[in-house]
Amino acid sequence: MKIKKWLSRLPLWLYACMILPFLAFGLSNQGVSYFSVRDIPRIWTDEAMKDWELPNSNPAYSAQPVSEAFYYKLPERVIYKTYPVYHPDYEPEGYWEWLHEQEAEIVFDESKLVTEEDWIKAGELLFDYPIDTLGAIINTQHVRNPYFYSSTGMPLTPEGIMPFAQWVVAGKGKVYLGNLSCAMCHTRIMEDGSLLKGAQGNWPGDKAFAFALESDGVSERGVQGITNILFGSPFVEGDPHGKLLASGREFILEAYKAVPEGAFGRQGTSILYPPQAPNLIGVKDRKYLDHGGLGQHRNIEDMMRYIAMNQALDFLNFYGDYNSIGLTKERLNNGEPIFFPGTHDRHSDAQLYAIAKYVYSLTPPENPYKPSTVSERGKIIFAEQGCVTCHTPPLFTNNKLTPADGFEVPDEHFDKYDVFDISVGTDPGYTLNTRRGTGYYKVPSLLGLWYRGPFLHDASLAKLEDLFDPARLRDDYVPTGFKPHDIKTKAVKGHEFGMELNEGDRKALVAYLLTL
Amino acid sequence: MDIGYLDIVLAPWRSLRILCASCVNLVLINKKNRLFLVFALVPCLLIAQSVKPESPIQFKIKNAGITVDGMISDWEVEVDFDSKRLDQSSIRGKANPESIQTGIKLRDKHLHGREYFHIQKFPSISLESKSFKAKGKNAFVGIFELQIRDVKREVEIPFTLSQTGRQQKFKGEFVIDRLDFGLGEKSLVLSDEVRIIIEF
Repeated sequence: MKIKKWLSRLPLWLYACMILPFLAFGLSNQGVSYFSVRDIPRIWTDEAMKDWELPNSNPAYSAQPVSEAFYYKLPERVIYKTYPVYHPDYEPEGYWEWLHEQEAEIVFDESKLVTEEDWIKAGELLFDYPIDTLGAIINTQHVRNPYFYSSTGMPLTPEGIMPFAQWVVAGKGKVYLGNLSCAMCHTRIMEDGSLLKGAQGNWPGDKAFAFALESDGVSERGVQGITNILFGSPFVEGDPHGKLLASGREFILEAYKAVPEGAFGRQGTSILYPPQAPNLIGVKDRKYLDHGGLGQHRNIEDMMRYIAMNQALDFLNFYGDYNSIGLTKERLNNGEPIFFPGTHDRHSDAQLYAIAKYVYSLTPPENPYKPSTVSERGKIIFAEQGCVTCHTPPLFTNNKLTPADGFEVPDEHFDKYDVFDISVGTDPGYTLNTRRGTGYYKVPSLLGLWYRGPFLHDASLAKLEDLFDPARLRDDYVPTGFKPHDIKTKAVKGHEFGMELNEGDRKALVAYLLTL
Repeated sequence: MDIGYLDIVLAPWRSLRILCASCVNLVLINKKNRLFLVFALVPCLLIAQSVKPESPIQFKIKNAGITVDGMISDWEVEVDFDSKRLDQSSIRGKANPESIQTGIKLRDKHLHGREYFHIQKFPSISLESKSFKAKGKNAFVGIFELQIRDVKREVEIPFTLSQTGRQQKFKGEFVIDRLDFGLGEKSLVLSDEVRIIIEF
């Protein structure tokens, strides 16, 4: 009672002073970005996962992801310090032995992340972090073999570093080759040797995988099995992947080798219709993710979902009753862990948040192609040719989905999605014949064309000029980018704009496109 | 080149046959009434005829700073216009949006789709006069009801009439806001305003 009495005698101004620190904290929150772990959204909820992805082009086989309960039961990933992988001829002396002397170092601690910059920095670390150390694509033996680099045409930095994989040190003497980081497909070694993170990568992943399968002497059954896990889609009309498997080991390996740098047959896609590795610089402004626009991108939560799903958790998806790693729904949910790369653990929501923040922060390097008289003429041609309708400035995409030939847009899609109801006639294989196919292709942004390539969703054209070459429409054309393993020539049809331009106008148009 | 005109006096025989059928019992009517009927029927000689003008409907729209010229070639118009009897005059037009041409075939196809003309559901565009006003020598303003898709809106169209003998030639120009008619959506590069030029 005495304390109460004493408190009541204190002057009002003293109470006001006691409130000041709280006010200051509140105000400072408006000026500088602070994140509390409590602000991190819970992204894998049953409600959110229901309609975040677009349905498959055959809706009966739309992806059914694991439940919220299943997802959050998976253990969170521990992020260890990683080390660069050198071509053996460039490896500093004693490096290998030194790596084995290192202790494990845990490098992600969300409690230490305060400012936006902290989160972005942590996100970069996670972007580079491999989620697999089981040898999902390549393993230690492969990268320590000089022949691996020459036979795959592996790009290296001037220091001889292969930046698409990392050494993960999980304890003294525990040095594992890490696969399946974001950086694996979204890092580009530029002509001058510099690294461009987030760009359309130039990791020759399918060639590397073919090397691994061949050098490990994997049997025909083994090659068929893993190829089916990656791309199997038996519910698709004509089952093209079933036919690929039936063609035998050598043909399958040739199919892997046919996929050029800049494209990658990631799980759920195809090496028959390999997707161009997407450029992530500027992804913040895009409304759909994946070439088929599979994932809606309405906010950072969608981006986090995409990262979680696409870093291998889609192996647990069911498509009708089909699961690519051979699970039944009973087995999936019986509580036993599933040991398959990327499916036995998960990123925490905070880790996903950090990666998303990093990806959003990516900016392009300075463009060496400056506007000129020629490019200014190309700018007018760009408008005259109607390019602006789909590739609308300033994003150079209208952020819409175009149906592929053979896909009829369901009426309800017009209200749910951003549909630009016209096909430009490009190869419909990817979006009609794969697990990730939606029946659509998203209109790509043209920003950063100067550091990208090969072009088109299937990476079939190596150079921008090839797009305006009328010869590409003929059946005797040899695609300059991706060419399927079992044919010698193939017309690259579709997107037939600017085909009638004279050479001067074509050059002007390309000059303009390179300035974007 | 003088393309597309409407000769409303040299009406097709089909219409005359209709008129003759109406007059079949003319001889049975007394002289005074006969005279009245002849005068009363004079305007009917100007009976509206549907013709397909040779000149297409033209339109212009700015896209990324460049003026795109387009046209709709398949259309017909029905005119019953007497500059001295504006209150009894009428002009009706009907156009087929499937015949739209902008110089890029794929763009034309897109304009057929549901974002624009949605031709499967709305196969025609119509224009129907409501009233006319004289605005000087051979110059008029008409209030028309324009229907595109399922949207009907009144538009004011200033036009000129040049008459050579019995030939009449109309030329009108007006601007619409494409968004008013549900043609596409707001765009950073495509103008909302479309200038339309009609000549027949």
